[in-house]
Amino acid sequence: MRRLNALRLAAAAVGIALAATGCGVTGSASGSASGSAAATNAGPVTGLRIMVPNTPGGGYDTTARVAAKVMEETKVATGVEVFNLAGAGGTVGLARTVNEKGNKDLTMLMGLGVVGASYTNKSEAKLTATTPLARLIEEPGAIMVHKDSPYKSINDLVDAWKKDPSKISVGGGSSPGGPDHLLPMQLAQAVGINPKNVNFVSFDGGGDLLPAILGNKVGFAASGAGEYLNQIKSGEIRVLATSGSKRLEGVDAPTLKESNIDLVFSNWRGIVSPPGVSDADKAKLIAALEKMHGTPQWQEALKTRGWTDAFITGDEFGTFLKDQDKRVASVLTALGLA
Amino acid sequence: MDALNLLMQGFATAATPMNLLFAFIGVLLGTAVGVLPGIGPAMAVALLLPLTYGLEPTSAFIMFAGIYYGGMYGGSTTSILLNTPGESATVITAIEGHKMAKAGRAAQALATAAIGSFVAGTIGTALLVAFAPMVVQFAVSLGPPSYLAIMVLGLIAVTAVLGSSKLRGFSSLGLGMAIGLVGLDPVTGQQRMVFGLPLLADGLDIVVVAVAIFAVGEALWIAAHLRRKPMETIPVGAPWMGKQDWKRSWKPWLRGTALGFPFGALPAGGAEIPTFLSYVTEKRLSKHKEEFGHGAIEGVAGPEAANNASAAGTLTPMLALGLPTNATAAVMLAAFVQYGIQPGPLLFQNEPQLVWALIASLFIGNTLLLLINLPLAPMWAKLLQIPRPYLYAGILFFATLGAYAVNLQAFDLAILLVLGLLGFAMRRYGLPVLPLIIGLILAPRAEGQLRKSLQLSAGDISGLWSEPIAIFVYGIVALILAWPLFAFAWRRFRPAPVAGGPGAPLAGGQAAAIVGPAAATEGSTAAAGQLPSPADTKDAPRQPADGGDSRGDSSGDSTDQNRVQAPPPKARL
Amino acid sequence: MSSQTLKLKGRSELGIAALLGAVGGVVVWDALRLSVPYSHSDPVGPRTVPLIVGGLLLVCAVLLAINVLRGGRGEAEEGEDVDLSHPSDWKTVVPLLAAFLANILLIDTLGWVISGTLLFWGSVWALGSRKYIRDGLISIVMSVATFYGFYLGLGIHLPAGLLAGVL
Repeated sequence: MRRLNALRLAAAAVGIALAATGCGVTGSASGSASGSAAATNAGPVTGLRIMVPNTPGGGYDTTARVAAKVMEETKVATGVEVFNLAGAGGTVGLARTVNEKGNKDLTMLMGLGVVGASYTNKSEAKLTATTPLARLIEEPGAIMVHKDSPYKSINDLVDAWKKDPSKISVGGGSSPGGPDHLLPMQLAQAVGINPKNVNFVSFDGGGDLLPAILGNKVGFAASGAGEYLNQIKSGEIRVLATSGSKRLEGVDAPTLKESNIDLVFSNWRGIVSPPGVSDADKAKLIAALEKMHGTPQWQEALKTRGWTDAFITGDEFGTFLKDQDKRVASVLTALGLA
Repeated sequence: MDALNLLMQGFATAATPMNLLFAFIGVLLGTAVGVLPGIGPAMAVALLLPLTYGLEPTSAFIMFAGIYYGGMYGGSTTSILLNTPGESATVITAIEGHKMAKAGRAAQALATAAIGSFVAGTIGTALLVAFAPMVVQFAVSLGPPSYLAIMVLGLIAVTAVLGSSKLRGFSSLGLGMAIGLVGLDPVTGQQRMVFGLPLLADGLDIVVVAVAIFAVGEALWIAAHLRRKPMETIPVGAPWMGKQDWKRSWKPWLRGTALGFPFGALPAGGAEIPTFLSYVTEKRLSKHKEEFGHGAIEGVAGPEAANNASAAGTLTPMLALGLPTNATAAVMLAAFVQYGIQPGPLLFQNEPQLVWALIASLFIGNTLLLLINLPLAPMWAKLLQIPRPYLYAGILFFATLGAYAVNLQAFDLAILLVLGLLGFAMRRYGLPVLPLIIGLILAPRAEGQLRKSLQLSAGDISGLWSEPIAIFVYGIVALILAWPLFAFAWRRFRPAPVAGGPGAPLAGGQAAAIVGPAAATEGSTAAAGQLPSPADTKDAPRQPADGGDSRGDSSGDSTDQNRVQAPPPKARL
Repeated sequence: MSSQTLKLKGRSELGIAALLGAVGGVVVWDALRLSVPYSHSDPVGPRTVPLIVGGLLLVCAVLLAINVLRGGRGEAEEGEDVDLSHPSDWKTVVPLLAAFLANILLIDTLGWVISGTLLFWGSVWALGSRKYIRDGLISIVMSVATFYGFYLGLGIHLPAGLLAGVL
């Protein structure tokens, strides 16, 4: 009796195992990777994996998943896998990317935040080592105050700020090294204030920063305007200036350049590949991204989410990355954080 | 009233068969992820977001809300049955709940948790409907100084749960605080206690620590001392709550709701602190103090109500202002954006149908969860009758799975192991676990809020009492600390008719009922000054006559906000 | 219990005091290597709280050691399943730890299905179950079921390891 039971159980298990292999989930994605090299340039990219160095739901994650979805819908790529490898501000993902030399199926979605994190976390892997593919989107920063704030224009603020930087608190949704920290620091440098004197208060993301602005707890806030559009429209939050090269749509505020402050800053996101990827593979990936960029679905996605198109590829992106890396390094070194 | 009409319309939308189905799927899914430590509603919603692209926004949000509430229920179930808190908000439930389960009262624990959650969720949602704008005004007026004051209150409350050996309690607190230090310094961004391991740079997650110390520690402890006699399964007693249970539960339900809702609405409030405060309050007010630490039903009823009320509280600023106060709310806001809906103060005006349907579905989801969980409570309780080896192996299996799935890093499992061994050692040598968890939660926050307060006031220390709430809370703290003096003076100058023993503590105790954790300090300030002599620990009564935490309690440490290791949009990247 | 066992027990609790001291020491040492940029608005600085915590731990370590040497003991936890009349049963604990450790080491190389099976099977064996075949099958089913559950339900790809392509 017992043996019969055991046999039955064994049969069931084997059955399950067979059925499981039948509905294989892991087979298709990784199996065909090697085949794609032989495929013509015209066919969709297969076996692509996009790594998000951040937790699900965050900015990079959303961008990656939207990109993957558009690529699938428009047959630019098939079987795209988006996965997360979070940790240490993105440097864990960066380290992994840099380690997988030559792997043409792995890409990483990253942004300005990872540049800063690679310095503050003393990461050995550097972004400049990766193979740049394309910059996708950017979001200019915004200098914001509560509607009851005494500062009516950016120049008001800068004047008061220059008089006594340590008395005016600046709120941002990142920890030191992140985009919301870099913006006010670079702004300080641009108007002649020593970054060391800036009283930066870091908040835990946009959700934590918002009540501080609404409650008029911080002198001013530096962050992306995207999360606060509703409050800006309703007048709760006043935007003194935005940091892009052009004005931000829907926001009635001048750019820093227009206000005679020499700074163009944006929180950008892009995709890179590991080092050592062959030129042919790089070209194939860039071509795919260019195709995606040209589709109406992608443009539609940009509009719905309020992302600014900032598409540059290949070497142009590489130069941009190097430049950003240098800028961030200089600010953070001046602060003693690098 | 206008609101009532809109709510009725919302019910009409939410009660369509399609949306009811989504609500049902949501609560089931939420319960399932709530059960697993590590994965929580926030992560579940984030992962499901891409899959819901094609759905009607209303239906999708109804499902998300179901996941959110369901997560709370699921977390409680594993806390009680398996000492494996699924959510940071349910860590406190494990303290008393698991002890009740081991004593054969699992069904009652589950029932009081389910009913309490329902009561709290319903009242909380009603408060959301009625008072959203006011609550939000209040919530926004609080800044770091007020939060610091609340943390200070919390730290004082810890002295109420140090256990019979204050020395060991403080040691435990110190260990918790040390674990909390791991990560980045909030102001300068420098790495502390990271030792060059990048995976430590984000700190140690509360749920992982709690699961390690509770569940893994207990599994190891049991393994070391398993009764080799015939495997008696844990007795499962009466399936329903008795009259005594009801009597003892209803007030904690209400008190827990009162504590949980405001904290949920506060940006830096969270669910862990109100559950902890509820626990301490119930312990102080209970007529059955000696049961605490051994399965007191109030210790489940209060915290459970608190955590569900705080879930409802969280939705208030989210809907009214677009202000997320925890990870799940933040992901839901991201979901709004995905559907092209701009969350914020104009949401109620721009999308009334969606918002009211969502609120209506909260009521529906809450009811569904009660209907699912209450009758099933005795069945869940039977889970404990699985033979020991399978039960504990299963606990380890699911703890591992949950902790790993969050980041897919084996390193998290190494943390589980190391802290599990710590949990084992703590059980062996009588170090209470609750202070460790409280230290882990409170210390980093208190430090963060303190330094932020000073930054915002540009170094001016008077900034610490620059907000009305801060002053109010410090007033309570002062009252608590000064209480022993009052009580002493009272006893001295007002001779009680029944001198000695019962008279004195009663006099102090009556007024202590007004200020919850007050009497806690009576004991602690008395003991604080002395060197712990052998008499303290050796003669420490085996029965917890003084309040129950004498044992190195396995279950029960407070929980923490954003419990899930995967609170999505944290730093701005 | 003989006084000798008591004494031994007392001594072993000194291990906890040592642990507290070690942790306290590490916290203090780590804090001292932090740089403290003078900031008018951050007078507390990154070092203060760690030094307080480390100090607390060191003080507790010393007091605990004194307490233990004078005869005080912490109460070991009791419970339904727990039989405290014997010292720790290492024959059970060690295999359990081994199963857990094996999973940690092997999960990425062998994949969840295999390492999870080992974990569960090893754990039930360590805890006393000797029904090898039944336990093995249960372990396999659980691992496979959770693998697919996470993959299809939540989109979380647990490592497939050796079985990549098969699953």
